[in-house]
Amino acid sequence: MPNKELSSMEHLKARSRYLRGNLAEDMADPLTGGVSEDSAQLLKFHGMYLQDNRDLRPERTKKKLEKAFGFMIRIRLPGGVITPQQWLALDEVARTYAGETLRLTTRQTFQMHGVLKFNVKTVLKRINQVALDTIAACGDDTRGVMAVSNPHQSKIHAEVYDIARRTSLHFKPKTHAYYEIFLDGEKVAGEGERDDVETIYGKTYMPRKFKIGFAVPPSNDIDVFAQDLGFIAIVGKKNTIEGWNVCVGGGMGMTHGEPETYPRTGDVLGFCRAEDLFAVAEAVCTIQRDWGDRSNRKHARLKYTLDDHGADAFRAEIAKRAGKPLEKARPYLFTSNGDRYGWTEGENGKHHLTLFVENGRLRDFADGRRLLTGMRRIAEVHDGEIRVTPNQNLIIANIAPENRKTIETIVTEHRMAENATALRRNSMACVALPTCGLALAESERYLPSLITKLEARLAAHGLADEEITLRMTGCPNGCARPYIAEIGLVGKGPGRYNLYLGAAFDGSRMGKLFREDLDDEGIVAALDPVFAAYAKERKKGERFGDFTIRAGFVAKTMNGLDFHKDAGAKRTA
Amino acid sequence: MASNPTIPKTAPFGDEEIALLNRVVGPASATQRAWLAGFLAGLESAAGGAAQPAAPARPAEPITILYASESGNCERLANDFAKAARKNALKPTLVDMADLDLATLPAIKRLIVIAATWGEGDPPARAVRAFNELMGESAPRLDGVEFGVLALGDTAYAEFCAIGKKLDERLEQLGAKRRIDRVDCDLDFAEPAGKWIADAVKTFAPAGATDSKVIEVDFSKQAVSPSLDIVEAEITEHLNLNSSRSDKETIHLALSFDGGAPPYEPGDSLDVYAENDPAYVDELLKLAGLSGDDKLRGELIKSRDITTLSLKTVETYAAQTGHRYVKQLIADNQAKEWIVGRQLIDLIATFPIALTAEHLRAITRPLAPRAYSIASSRREVGDEAHLLISAVRYETHGRARKGVASNFVAERVKKGGRVRVKLRPNRHFALPAPDRDIIMIGPGTGVAPFRAFVQERRATGATGRSWLFFGDRHFTHDFLYQLDWHEALKDGALTRMDVAFSRDTPEKIYVQHKMWDARRELIEWLDGGATFYVCGDAKSMAKDVRATLVRAYADVKSIAPEAAEQAVTSLERDKRYLTDTY
Ligand code: SRM
Ligand SMILES: Cc1cc2nc3c(=O)[nH]c(=O)nc-3n(C[C@H](O)[C@H](O)[C@H](O)COP(=O)(O)OP(=O)(O)OC[C@H]3O[C@@H](n4cnc5c(N)ncnc54)[C@H](O)[C@@H]3O)c2cc1C
Ligand SMILES: Cc1cc2nc3c(=O)[nH]c(=O)nc-3n(C[C@H](O)[C@H](O)[C@H](O)COP(=O)(O)O)c2cc1C
Ligand code: SF4
Repeated sequence: MPNKELSSMEHLKARSRYLRGNLAEDMADPLTGGVSEDSAQLLKFHGMYLQDNRDLRPERTKKKLEKAFGFMIRIRLPGGVITPQQWLALDEVARTYAGETLRLTTRQTFQMHGVLKFNVKTVLKRINQVALDTIAACGDDTRGVMAVSNPHQSKIHAEVYDIARRTSLHFKPKTHAYYEIFLDGEKVAGEGERDDVETIYGKTYMPRKFKIGFAVPPSNDIDVFAQDLGFIAIVGKKNTIEGWNVCVGGGMGMTHGEPETYPRTGDVLGFCRAEDLFAVAEAVCTIQRDWGDRSNRKHARLKYTLDDHGADAFRAEIAKRAGKPLEKARPYLFTSNGDRYGWTEGENGKHHLTLFVENGRLRDFADGRRLLTGMRRIAEVHDGEIRVTPNQNLIIANIAPENRKTIETIVTEHRMAENATALRRNSMACVALPTCGLALAESERYLPSLITKLEARLAAHGLADEEITLRMTGCPNGCARPYIAEIGLVGKGPGRYNLYLGAAFDGSRMGKLFREDLDDEGIVAALDPVFAAYAKERKKGERFGDFTIRAGFVAKTMNGLDFHKDAGAKRTA
Repeated sequence: MASNPTIPKTAPFGDEEIALLNRVVGPASATQRAWLAGFLAGLESAAGGAAQPAAPARPAEPITILYASESGNCERLANDFAKAARKNALKPTLVDMADLDLATLPAIKRLIVIAATWGEGDPPARAVRAFNELMGESAPRLDGVEFGVLALGDTAYAEFCAIGKKLDERLEQLGAKRRIDRVDCDLDFAEPAGKWIADAVKTFAPAGATDSKVIEVDFSKQAVSPSLDIVEAEITEHLNLNSSRSDKETIHLALSFDGGAPPYEPGDSLDVYAENDPAYVDELLKLAGLSGDDKLRGELIKSRDITTLSLKTVETYAAQTGHRYVKQLIADNQAKEWIVGRQLIDLIATFPIALTAEHLRAITRPLAPRAYSIASSRREVGDEAHLLISAVRYETHGRARKGVASNFVAERVKKGGRVRVKLRPNRHFALPAPDRDIIMIGPGTGVAPFRAFVQERRATGATGRSWLFFGDRHFTHDFLYQLDWHEALKDGALTRMDVAFSRDTPEKIYVQHKMWDARRELIEWLDGGATFYVCGDAKSMAKDVRATLVRAYADVKSIAPEAAEQAVTSLERDKRYLTDTY
């Protein structure tokens, strides 16, 4: 955007000498658990957030203590695939430095919370020994590349995973700052002064975060329509990937009371052949780099760039930069954006176990479910891989048939697969309090109890086994992609949520605001009559989200621009 | 720091009295001095005619009073002795064992030793060197020396008055002649010590010179300054500095005084007069079958030490009640072992027997005050005094135990409430000249006096550099006064701070490790004349810190361990290695 004042973040990036700034000094200061504001911003590019325990805020200054700072560390894990050996390293650091818990994320990776500044380097060095890092896991760059986790098509999965890995590598920042600052690596003399270090990004990187994901129908587990740049695999006769439908402009974040901000599902702009994948990906990325709004961070994501310039202009620019135009999009069919649980056998004769992990929280719980220890045991004996799904779940993948018994025993012994209801299995909540600095309301800590109440209502209407997707976030940023869940709950303030209905089960259509500012009882009371109606009036095989529109509870959302239009309950009972 | 002395050391007063007088007379204006002069003169005449001569006409006989003191009790007693001596034709010389040159001993005709025991039967820190020399082979013969020993201690410790006992024996071994038997005093030493001093003065005074008057050492009377009396303070701030996620509780207590704060200096402590936990008292009374006795109850809560279980207690219990098994315990020499980690309540619970109020009074001693380093400077907080008190809680023999005073403060006194305190000056832990550097090692509550140091140096605009080492369990939950230190580093009152938190990493890290990491700068500072302070835990920390400093000297200056040890010893002699440990 010309002649508009660049945001302060842009100036910071420019003067940071490729993400160095004063990070090294700030990390070394032994008297504060925090870092300066600038350093906190730069940390994100290195995959970390400076947070503080919000539960403790009220008491701190009274006690002459600074905020209870802790670092959130996010692993770069393209496609969510991790080896047992890497798992053991993560388990070890989590137990020692991160409060004995690991958190699976909605983009197929791991987060640790509350890591003391003074232990950050130890943690990063340890995971580096098993070839893991956190580079660009957050920040204005290409982060966490997602890939289908569905274990059924072993061969395709292997192929797509490899592509995701290479994509992550291709778009990984080239600066050595991370190695210098956190791994005591060689200083690269004069790198900070050179201009040619970041061949793709340049000195100021992206205007905003940039997210890429690869989906393979029929599974839309990665929510391809929520990605800035999504690819939908088109699998040919010979069970090989012929090419990709290119889906651009997805994103969930918005701000309450600011209608010019909105969540958006991506548009399928066309098809590209397998060999042109990287050319197209780099084209889209650089268009956003050059066209993206660098003055207003609330208008900087690709989804706004696309709506500002229009699909045609965008398509033309892709053709220019990629050297050839996109072809006409190919047909594809998604059936769901969820996971299928339990044991399955892949084409390759290996077995796979998909475990439901409520809100992605791995811990040894007081009630005797020992997910953290159980996974450690599994990692000790497993010789395949482990996958994090986009729904915060786990897949123990490629288990040799002879190992199946052992793993089954571990799972039962540690109570890792207690059967959850259909609603719970199709739910997600973001982290929110106490660590998330942007949370307006509880999410992960609250959703389980709410679901228990909703389960009772569903059962009462004979809907106990219906697969309905429900996602909750503590603020409108949409980290658990609530706007593309059939029931979306978005934090408004302490104990208050906005309720969205009408999204498609396969994640292709967003919901519509149904009721505002609901508290716990309010949510149950608002949903109960909709459940009742669904039980009585639904057509055979009709999904809950589709039903709420047909039955007239909410208006249908076509795309981002009409997300805020025609909101509110059209029918309440 | 005391202002430039006006009253000379040679004045007929104890050193401490002189110090106190100087605090008043030193800064006093001409008018104030004139007024004082008039007032004192007036007093004499009011007292009726001529003042008594301080000492008899004929030349007094010399007597040396050697004291080994850590927290000042023996030192005060030594001063009392000197006063009494002067009135009895004796010319006392006070010698702190820290400054004792053994070579001078044989020449002394009359020698009084007043010694305390610390640690686990150790000498007071300052006295260690001289004590070891005296115990060693090279100690001189002392034939012709006449002596008497007064020992201070605490029956709660296994090694009761160990140092006094050892000195008493050793002097005899070296040929000195005991003129008066040693007395071992418990924490309530005022009376027995006063009596012993009177007897000793009589014994050593030149024949005929004695005035028969027994001077009783009642501290509240003996104090020359009202500030040494017990005073009531109001609690204006009462907050736990540890986070709610901490397993510790450390109370920051702000006290205000109606009549103005006692004239404390950085490094001084306050004695806190606590009360026992009523719940504990009730349990005790129940076990003793005395639940109804409200008078006794009040007495136990306010003024008796009902937790300490010493050998003496067990013996008295056996004697008073004639309890068979307790007698047996003593007969089998099991008692000493049995009392470890136990309290009075365990004795009564394990060996129940019908008790009378008299029994309980007999087996308990008066409740002693607890000392707490003052964590503020009057020059910054005016008429307040701050304390930093860590709640002592632990479990032994399946019983949850609570320290009396620390939990009285943590659990039973509230903002707006009142506590009784008494100033406990400690001129052996004072700041150096303002232009001198200081190094402060204060983990845990050991940091308290250093907060006073830093405040004082800020208020007086001291130019010397200040370096603080602090440590505790968790950075996030136990960083006592963290924001205060941030501020001090910003405004320059604190030059540098190093911290060690022991439970944030698998391997435990303590202040001595941080000292070792910074050993080069440490030795630089010390070579530059810095004073080195250690406050806090005596059991291990203080020892480890000293050992580390010795190793640091050896490493940085690449000298032999013996030479390094010498370097630290000479710091101690020069009073540049100062400790206040407990
Ligand atoms: C951990 C995770 C949620 C979870 O429970 O799994 C998460 C957690 C946070 N997100 Fe997110 N986001 C997570 C996936 C998402 C997604 C879902 C997705 O990408 O498929 C979205 C919606 C898609 C999108 O980007 O639009 C998402 C949209 C946001 C936004 C809004 C961005 C926007 O441009 O509108 C923010 C706030 C911001 O960036 O200003 C945000 C910011 C945050 C921060 C870092 C809060 C902050 O900026 O201070 C949260 C850290 C909380 C904590 O204590 O851990 N997060 N965040 C997910 C980590 C994904 C990963 O591994 O990289
Ligand atoms: C000069 C000086 C300055 C001091 N300054 C401070 C200060 O600034 N802050 C501060 O908090 N304290 C300070 N202290 C210590 C303080 O005086 C008290 O000793 C302390 O608070 C305990 O007193 P209490 O009455 O609570 O515990 P008490 O009732 O006296 O019980 C303490 C006794 O309990 C036993 N005990 C304690 N812990 C254990 C355990 N884990 N296992 C078994 N037995 C145990 C020991 O016998 C110990 O002597 C100082 C002491 C001195 C001498
Ligand atoms: C930390 C500490 C340890 C002590 N250790 C002993 C000991 O082992 N034996 C003993 O009889 N008294 C011991 N005492 C009691 C002291 O000797 C007693 O308080 C004495 O009055 C102190 O005299 P001072 O003020 O001259 O140092 C100890 C006191 C403290 C505070
Ligand atoms: S949705 Fe909001 S509250 Fe939840 S994690 Fe994302 S930013 Fe935090």
